[in-house]
Amino acid sequence: MKISYNWLKEYVYICLSPQELADKLTNVGLVVADIQPVEDDFCLDIEVTSNRPDCLGIIGIAREIAAAEGGNLYFPETNVGSAHVDISEFINVSVEEPILCPRYTARVVRHITVTPSPEWMQKRLKCVGLRPVNNIVDITNYVMVETGQPLHAFDLDRLAEQKIIVRKARIGEEIVAINGARRALFPDMLVIADGRRPVAIAGVMGGVETEVSGSTRNILLECAQFEQRQVRRTSRALGITSDSSYRFERGIDPEGIDRVSQRAVRLIKDCTGGEIAGGTVNIRSERHETKKIVLRMERLHKVLGVEVKRDVAIDILKKLQFNILNDVDNFIDLEVPSFRGDISREIDLIEEVARIYGYNNIPTKTSINVRGSTKNKVEVVEDTIRQFLIGLGFYEVKTFSIVDTAPLQAVNLWSDKEGIDIANPLRQEESRLRTSLLPSLINTKRYNMHHGTEQIKIFEIAKVYLAGAKLPHEKTCLSILADTDYLTLKGIVESLLFNLGIFSKCEWIIFCEPGLLRNERAARVQMDGITVGYFGEASQELRFKTVSCLTELDMDFLVEKSNFVKKYHELPQYPPVFRDLAIIVDEEVTWSSIERCITDTKTAFLKEVNFFDVYRGKQIPSGKKSIALNLLFQAIDRTLKMKRSIVLSKLSSMPSTIPLAQN
Amino acid sequence: MTEKLEEVKSNLQDETKTITTRKDAEQLKIKYLGRKGIVNDLMKLIPALPTEKRAAFGQRVNFLKIEIADIIDELITKVSAEVIPKIKTELFDITLPGKRPFIGKKHPITQTIDDIKEVFARLGFDVVYGPEVELEYYNFEALNIPTDHPSRTDFDTFYIRDDVLLRSQTSTVQIRIMEKQKPPIRIIAPGRVYRPDTVDARHSFMFHQVEGLFVDEGVSFADLKGVLNQFIKTYFGQNIRMRLRPSFFPFTEPSAEVDISCSICGGRGCSVCSYSGWVEILGAGMVDPNVFKAVHYDEEKYTGFAFGMGVERITMLKYGICDIRLFYENDIRFLSQF
Ligand SMILES: [Zn+2]
Repeated sequence: MKISYNWLKEYVYICLSPQELADKLTNVGLVVADIQPVEDDFCLDIEVTSNRPDCLGIIGIAREIAAAEGGNLYFPETNVGSAHVDISEFINVSVEEPILCPRYTARVVRHITVTPSPEWMQKRLKCVGLRPVNNIVDITNYVMVETGQPLHAFDLDRLAEQKIIVRKARIGEEIVAINGARRALFPDMLVIADGRRPVAIAGVMGGVETEVSGSTRNILLECAQFEQRQVRRTSRALGITSDSSYRFERGIDPEGIDRVSQRAVRLIKDCTGGEIAGGTVNIRSERHETKKIVLRMERLHKVLGVEVKRDVAIDILKKLQFNILNDVDNFIDLEVPSFRGDISREIDLIEEVARIYGYNNIPTKTSINVRGSTKNKVEVVEDTIRQFLIGLGFYEVKTFSIVDTAPLQAVNLWSDKEGIDIANPLRQEESRLRTSLLPSLINTKRYNMHHGTEQIKIFEIAKVYLAGAKLPHEKTCLSILADTDYLTLKGIVESLLFNLGIFSKCEWIIFCEPGLLRNERAARVQMDGITVGYFGEASQELRFKTVSCLTELDMDFLVEKSNFVKKYHELPQYPPVFRDLAIIVDEEVTWSSIERCITDTKTAFLKEVNFFDVYRGKQIPSGKKSIALNLLFQAIDRTLKMKRSIVLSKLSSMPSTIPLAQN
Repeated sequence: MTEKLEEVKSNLQDETKTITTRKDAEQLKIKYLGRKGIVNDLMKLIPALPTEKRAAFGQRVNFLKIEIADIIDELITKVSAEVIPKIKTELFDITLPGKRPFIGKKHPITQTIDDIKEVFARLGFDVVYGPEVELEYYNFEALNIPTDHPSRTDFDTFYIRDDVLLRSQTSTVQIRIMEKQKPPIRIIAPGRVYRPDTVDARHSFMFHQVEGLFVDEGVSFADLKGVLNQFIKTYFGQNIRMRLRPSFFPFTEPSAEVDISCSICGGRGCSVCSYSGWVEILGAGMVDPNVFKAVHYDEEKYTGFAFGMGVERITMLKYGICDIRLFYENDIRFLSQF
């Protein structure tokens, strides 16, 4: 809402500079976003929150200033005098939709001359960003900016059958609005019609056929109240917004309508020399019920945390034009002025007192009750993982949860259902909730490649969204992309699990996700029969210049399984015995099967089976490989001698296993 | 036999001329003075001599042995000395740069959230989470934002279906927690939120918020100011001032926008603070009684306050970042700065 500094001063006495005025307004909740000098005046651009339509007129702003600063309010002249000819001779108004149009007033001014409006008026309109048109249109705009109440002037002689009917639009009707927009109308829209057709979209905009022009001699001035939601829906449906619809949507002062109408015709008479017809059309569906509220001083104190004195509170409310009914006790009974539709409860009054009393005059309390707080397990696990990976040189990234529908983004490791689409996306690039973090990490790698960083180690902890019943299943994942070889990242993952106190054995099961992971170098990782995550070398199709590995792990699972309870184990008194072995096996024999075979022997004192090398080449038959491993034996009560015969006999039962060397 | 001794001595002197390294000199010492060396060979000649000459020859050999030992020691000292300048050219340079281990970084958004959590944890606030895909009810109705209300215009939202949307604010978590828990409540809820804003330097369709909620008997606006002041001083610095302005949020009343004095210009006015000396950092207020009604709390007995802040905005202010897109590009050169 743009206001003129000089114009404001007509309604309230202030001796504040524009900047001081802006600070005062900001302190009561009317943020001044900008101050611009305009000739000998200043334009203040005020942000009015949607609950304060009363401040969409300069008088409303003057009222706030008067309350905060003291000083009287001055209201403009509204005396319209009397006339001989009654309005009923010229127009017949009926309201068919009293709920959508609770009040409709009309006045007629005859024998006017349409000319440019007076210079002082044009100057003020320009200052607040309105383009002067002619004296009639300018006056309706001027009064709207002054009071916050929209008005519309029809060319009386163009209204068919001298009728105004407030009704719903009929199928097939259309209108060309003043701004030139032609719109088809629908039966759920409220219109102002004459005897034949719609002449205005109620509360939104008038039609071009009945607008005031240079040849207009007689006018009908509409000043009404239209239901807020109705105006909002119609305005949105037609794609037409106006200063008028903006105000009706937020609500106008139902009791101020007639006074505004008088103010406008009085101005028209003064500026155009027209003749005001006697009487007024004033149709109202129901009486305005004045709201009565009780403010308890004790409640005021409780909510604000400061003891505002009763007379201070009363003074504030009086200046805001609340009608105080009592004058004793710890209660304030009052009536809410009709322009404050936002106020209906005690808490609303508390806010009014706080606003004008000044938020910055309320004390800042420096102590609160004791309450212990501990980190929850999710936080502990996330912190541990972040700390661990950062120490290993990983950067944490944050990527968008809403992604495009490119094939790469279709990766869905956790569900066989489709990803969830946004019904109203801004762009195709952001139209679906992601089902995996890995495509985003791949894109981050590419972005960095193009900006000069070839080697990268990154991770993200975020949600993926899997189709569910009512709401999707939001699964938190830990995903890593690292320019390392397979075994390096695998080791990091193993070590990470260890750090979280997860000691259960992982199974690495061959997995296929072409386009994302390289064939035969990808695994589904399973623990106690549950999938923990996916792991593998990046597919060559991704065209990275480096060898990269990817993994996506189920964070919810890690949080559940993590265990930070630690217990001391006595240090061994006797040294371990190491035995190295090399065995030649078929290519197909996996390490995990060798390891299982050895551990299955349940050999006494065997504590660890450690892989240390694989060799192919000279001396090894083709189709076979040599695996070197190390066995660790340890007893708690003595130094062991040798313990390998049982292991060896078991090993030789494996397919094509030949003990090659032992030490 | 004397000639024999002289010959040995002159041979040695010839040989010393060709020797330049300590190793060769040591070899020479073994050759002459070792157990199977030349001098010992001379000793072995003694039994073959006539008895009367044995003592004298033995003395002379012993003398020669001492002489040779002196010559070779001198030689060793000499060649060793010559090596010293060579070592000097390989002097260890203690000013060479160290081999730095490569350490990663937490994302700046995570760092800010951690900082916020840290401050509020000390004031007894627990960290809680809520879903990002939400029922419309939690994002609007329960927060006192009715359908078709003009305030909805301030809350444009991505929809999945009619009554399912991407939350546009973390305030949803307030309702979910209050539905499950009775007062007293002290929580903060960090998380992602979504709004259909066209991406530019100041807007992103996805960003992070931290919501706070404090409900108990006797919680007042003065407590709200106290808690926020504590946060602001800790996070932005002790010399930063706080200002509250009346504002409007459907789920709080009284509502406030909270500004801090501009840390860039110290309050004198600059482009960051639009020459006002103040920058807006969060919205807050006393929980609206209608919100308490929605979760069946006794609105007479309990009062509370809530606040919500944009994590990106706070991070940008703290580090002087002027483009929000940097957070999601994840350029390592950006991430490594924090
Ligand atoms: Zn500044």
